[in-house]
Amino acid sequence: MSTLLEAFRLVMQTDVLLAILLASIYGLVVGSLPGLSATMATALLVPVTFYLSPIAAVATIIAASAMAIFSGDIPGALLRIPGTPASAAYTDEAYAMTRKGQPEMALGICVWFSALGGIAGTLSLIVLAPPLAEMALNFSTYEYFWLAFLGLMCATMVARSSPVKAIASMLLGLLVACIGIENPAGTPRFTFGITDLLGGIEVIPALVGVFAVSEVMRAMLTAEPPKLPYRRFGSILKGQIALTKKYVAPQVRGNIVGIIIGVLPGAGADMAAWVSYSMSKRFSKEPKKFGTGHPEGLIEAGASNNASLASGWVPSLLFGIPGDTITAIAIGVLYMKGLNPGPTLFTERASSMYALYIIFIIANIIMIPLGIAMIRVAALVLRAPRASVMPVIVLLCAVGAFATGNNLFAVITVAAFGVIGYVMERNGYPVAAMVLGIVMGTMVEQSFVTSLIKSDGSILPFFSRPVAAVLASMTIAALLWPLGVWTWRLLRRPTAYIVRNEKP
Amino acid sequence: MQLSDRVTGLFMVALGGLAAYGGSRLPPVPGQQIGPNVFPLVVGIGLAVCGGMIAFGIGRRYEEEAEADLAKITSQIATDTVAEDHSHNWWRGLRALVPPALLLFYVLAVDRIGFLPTAAALVLTTSLALGARLRLAVPLAIGAPLLVNLVFSKLLRVPLPSGLLPMPWLGLP
Repeated sequence: MSTLLEAFRLVMQTDVLLAILLASIYGLVVGSLPGLSATMATALLVPVTFYLSPIAAVATIIAASAMAIFSGDIPGALLRIPGTPASAAYTDEAYAMTRKGQPEMALGICVWFSALGGIAGTLSLIVLAPPLAEMALNFSTYEYFWLAFLGLMCATMVARSSPVKAIASMLLGLLVACIGIENPAGTPRFTFGITDLLGGIEVIPALVGVFAVSEVMRAMLTAEPPKLPYRRFGSILKGQIALTKKYVAPQVRGNIVGIIIGVLPGAGADMAAWVSYSMSKRFSKEPKKFGTGHPEGLIEAGASNNASLASGWVPSLLFGIPGDTITAIAIGVLYMKGLNPGPTLFTERASSMYALYIIFIIANIIMIPLGIAMIRVAALVLRAPRASVMPVIVLLCAVGAFATGNNLFAVITVAAFGVIGYVMERNGYPVAAMVLGIVMGTMVEQSFVTSLIKSDGSILPFFSRPVAAVLASMTIAALLWPLGVWTWRLLRRPTAYIVRNEKP
Repeated sequence: MQLSDRVTGLFMVALGGLAAYGGSRLPPVPGQQIGPNVFPLVVGIGLAVCGGMIAFGIGRRYEEEAEADLAKITSQIATDTVAEDHSHNWWRGLRALVPPALLLFYVLAVDRIGFLPTAAALVLTTSLALGARLRLAVPLAIGAPLLVNLVFSKLLRVPLPSGLLPMPWLGLP
């Protein structure tokens, strides 16, 4: 109880509350602009978090990401252009509702069920984390190795791309993590005599490059999205309670699917929305209505992507394995703020953990009034031409990366990873898998090499401990899964490969 | 930068091979079998294998499914882009390189000519490359650097170089 009070005291500071409010507004604006994703919003926030207290820093990330995921629905519903990738799955459905003359209903569903989903995700974090932490206290390097490996495999399994390319991206990330002297022997590795590379590739500039610069590069080649006509909205929340009562099952299902996908490393809000939307269609009593402005799928997917956001913090806080790309950035901030992820975080810094839960709940509650305000001014915000937003983002990339270490080499890293991210995305290599490789590389190598040294080079102990054996079999199953599915499909439909279409 | 799977796959093979080779030549830790060489070796070999599979088109089908899903939603935007692409293809392709090139320019220039002029040039170029008129680009190029300077230099105390334009009247160093 005293820890809970202490947690409230931590959150109820002026700087924390102000940080939540400002980050929320920032998240709403960035999320609603097409082409700027929630991950990018978070990445650009990091340099600012350096100068805040630990709780305020984490609060900005939580608030900004939650708001951005919701506000990506606004241009989706009004313009049929998803503001963030997480809204892409149900953009058509929401836009169909707008065309039927119910934009209030569509946006109301988005804000109301996003908030409820976010709270459900937070509850899962509260319930799941402590018992898992208890278990994780007994883990040795073998378990950590398998856990990290499993995390990497999950990221490749759920990527919306060819699994082979996803694995290649992930390995590329691991290779990037090899650079520097942070290896078992402290020898400079792949530094090519460049002093700046001795410390390795820094994660934050690399992420800023992959998620922000490559986005601006893409904007250079695509047409400007159309302007949003100004319209007056009626009551946004009208009828939402009735919908909540009517669609209990889809909502619960959406929350649960979102939570599960959030916990899986590397799979985030966009994946949760896709899976939930198609599940909703499959289990619905009236699947024919989907795509014509039917609220059911919107409810399920809208709840799902926000639920995944909170549960993505479970593996991040417990093991330092990011649940999605947003928490990949958050982990960097946690380390910097002395809140090193790990099971001991829950025993030694319990009040900080409670504070984190409270922030999540606050963020999801104020999402409703702030979200409604945002919907009403969306026409104004979306009027900002891209040519005025993108230059500022490039400038913030440069200054933000420099601020991470007062080192201009970070800006070169940003530029390089911008190009890498852009080329990979264009060629179907999922960047999220690479990011996960970069973030987890050191951890994977450390647990791998330490385990091998402990076992004197023998592989047997990797499988002999019970938990390690379970994790190992899961990992191997994940590794063989795409291969199995591929052979099965090849046997079943041998012609499918011949009639495939080449990319334009 | 749309390349065929064969090209990117073979690039991965080459990169993986080089990493494995480079890793294997790292000095071992005396008295131990496992050193800094093991991990790059494993990762490099894995990358080379994946690259080979990509080059042979394994797993291509999954991508097509995902693309079909996405194409349904972005079809309207995509057709606009393709239509414009045909008009001046190579020039548009190069425009994507403007942001990273500007970041490199920032690295080279910021210590010599200072933050404000460098940032102004960066903002102006990006804005014009995105098709802004001068009426928008010039005020933006003046305003945005000043604002960023205010936030980062004054509030967050990031040492941004002042260079040619020391502005004591703005409280800048």
